[in-house]
Amino acid sequence: MGQALRLTLMYLRAYLRDRTAVFFSLVVPLMLLLIFGSLNLGAFGQVSLAIDDQANTTASQSFVAALEKIDTLAVKHLSADAALAELKRTELDMLLVIPKDFAIAPTRAGQPVPTLTMYGNDARPQQVSVGGSIVNEVITRLSFAVNQTAPVVNLKQEDVQGVRLRYVDFLVPGILGVNVMQLAIFSVAFALVVDKRRGVLRRIMATPLKPITFLVAQVVTRLIMATLQVLIMLAVAVFLFDVHPLGGILPLLLVSLFGAVLFLTIGFALAGWAETENQVPAIAQLITLPQFFFSGVFFSKEAAPAFIRPVTNLLPLTFLNDALREISVQGATLWDVRGQLLGLLVWTAIGLLLAVRFFRFDRF
Amino acid sequence: MTAIVSVRELQKHYGDIHAVRGISFEVLQGEIFGLLGPNGAGKTTTVEILEGLRKADGGVAIVDGIDVSKEPAKAKERVGVQLQQSAFPENFTAKETVELFALCYGVTVDAMALLKEVDLADKAGQRQEKLSGGQRQRLSIATALVNKPRVLFLDEPTTGLDPQARRNLWELVRGIRQSGTTVFLTTHYMDEAEVLCDRVAVMDHGEIIAMDPPRTLITALLGRGFTKPMIQQQATLEDVFLDLTGHELRED
Repeated sequence: MGQALRLTLMYLRAYLRDRTAVFFSLVVPLMLLLIFGSLNLGAFGQVSLAIDDQANTTASQSFVAALEKIDTLAVKHLSADAALAELKRTELDMLLVIPKDFAIAPTRAGQPVPTLTMYGNDARPQQVSVGGSIVNEVITRLSFAVNQTAPVVNLKQEDVQGVRLRYVDFLVPGILGVNVMQLAIFSVAFALVVDKRRGVLRRIMATPLKPITFLVAQVVTRLIMATLQVLIMLAVAVFLFDVHPLGGILPLLLVSLFGAVLFLTIGFALAGWAETENQVPAIAQLITLPQFFFSGVFFSKEAAPAFIRPVTNLLPLTFLNDALREISVQGATLWDVRGQLLGLLVWTAIGLLLAVRFFRFDRF
Repeated sequence: MTAIVSVRELQKHYGDIHAVRGISFEVLQGEIFGLLGPNGAGKTTTVEILEGLRKADGGVAIVDGIDVSKEPAKAKERVGVQLQQSAFPENFTAKETVELFALCYGVTVDAMALLKEVDLADKAGQRQEKLSGGQRQRLSIATALVNKPRVLFLDEPTTGLDPQARRNLWELVRGIRQSGTTVFLTTHYMDEAEVLCDRVAVMDHGEIIAMDPPRTLITALLGRGFTKPMIQQQATLEDVFLDLTGHELRED
């Protein structure tokens, strides 16, 4: 035990001296977080608008048709109740209810003006304000077309409180997951293939050191680096981007380290399989790149084409990111994400089998 | 003199290749023993079996009383190893490299004293990957001495070194033998074997074809009527080179 610990400390000191390794384990992840965190992607795109057309008259239909022609709006038809539920889950930006008495006609004295009700998700203020002005603009134009007068309908706005999910809130768990994956796979695969090819491993195996002690030192060194990486990124997320991981820091760290162990097994398998360090980037990219895009790092995993989603939903990083995101955004506990943890466990078992199969000390 | 390494009927195959074909020999305690032969003769395979790095297909290899194939870990504790084309982990200083290997043997050493022994005390704080070829070979010998080995295995220790560094290493090897460690080395430099080794075994195609002190082998050859055209020359080009550039060790 003491030997493993001292070996770990020696390797950790060497790791921290390696500028390239430190750059890729700590600086690059931070850059990714800073760049994507400040881009605020997804803050604006289309405004999703549900319409409940209770009038269903020629007038209301032409009004809806006019709204549907506007590119910025993604219009769908929903009952007010269903749409309000979606609004609360921030799956929708706005709801427009067209009353039964809707008409675009000159006002007559004594008659009430039809009132449109528009619900906006207050978690998406920009979308609501843009959507609101568009709807207003359409009403004004229709009114002029019909009456050459000012609007004849009222637009009443109400706020609905949705989950305040900013892009950076969505991004942080994904960034944690992807960087843990990169660190675990690349740091092990590169370093150990180089050590294997240059005869370092063989030299160490000529001493009485037990292979398991060597492996423990290598793994623990990377887990310490992963811990550092996760804590630094969470610190930046909390203090710079005002992200509040609802489920707490500790569960996020534990799940990240679980993910790191999984990807380390893949790193070892790769280091054992590859003959030279030139083969590592190709295979490592082949493994990591699909997960980079399809496992919900920078955008929702639902962005993957539907036909490959059954596969992408089973990728190791998808399980990791889903677990991290549920903990961070929805305040889930470790027990709540047991399904994802089970997925990680299955992948770890597969990785371990591959590592044992390919990373053979007697072949070095 | 008792045998410290004893090899009987050692066999090793790599697929169809019969790399070691039932060789037998003994290395005596306190001698410098050379295993000579062209590339591919089976020298390295033989040494690596003795070091516990490879399993033999047949025969017995005993090092310091331990059957290597039965107790490789125990055998590894008794020997010092310098592998052909081996390297050390990067981002370790020379001193840390020595400490790393001491840790691998589970022993504590005075790393500075060991570095001084191989004339690297002034490089203790330097990253090992920045050392010159000769310095790295000497560091390699320092790491092979951390466990106070009974036998030191050196696999082609002077390949790629300049004449000064080679001579420096020979001195180092002699000093190690002086302190009581048996030295087992492989080389394909005959001048090296001639000046350094007490006894040599010549290996080719997986078999030992001659074994004796270098002088005895030379005398036997001359006795068989061997002659070569002699040009009376009191110096070689290497002597010229060393005269011009000095015996002082160079930094790369």
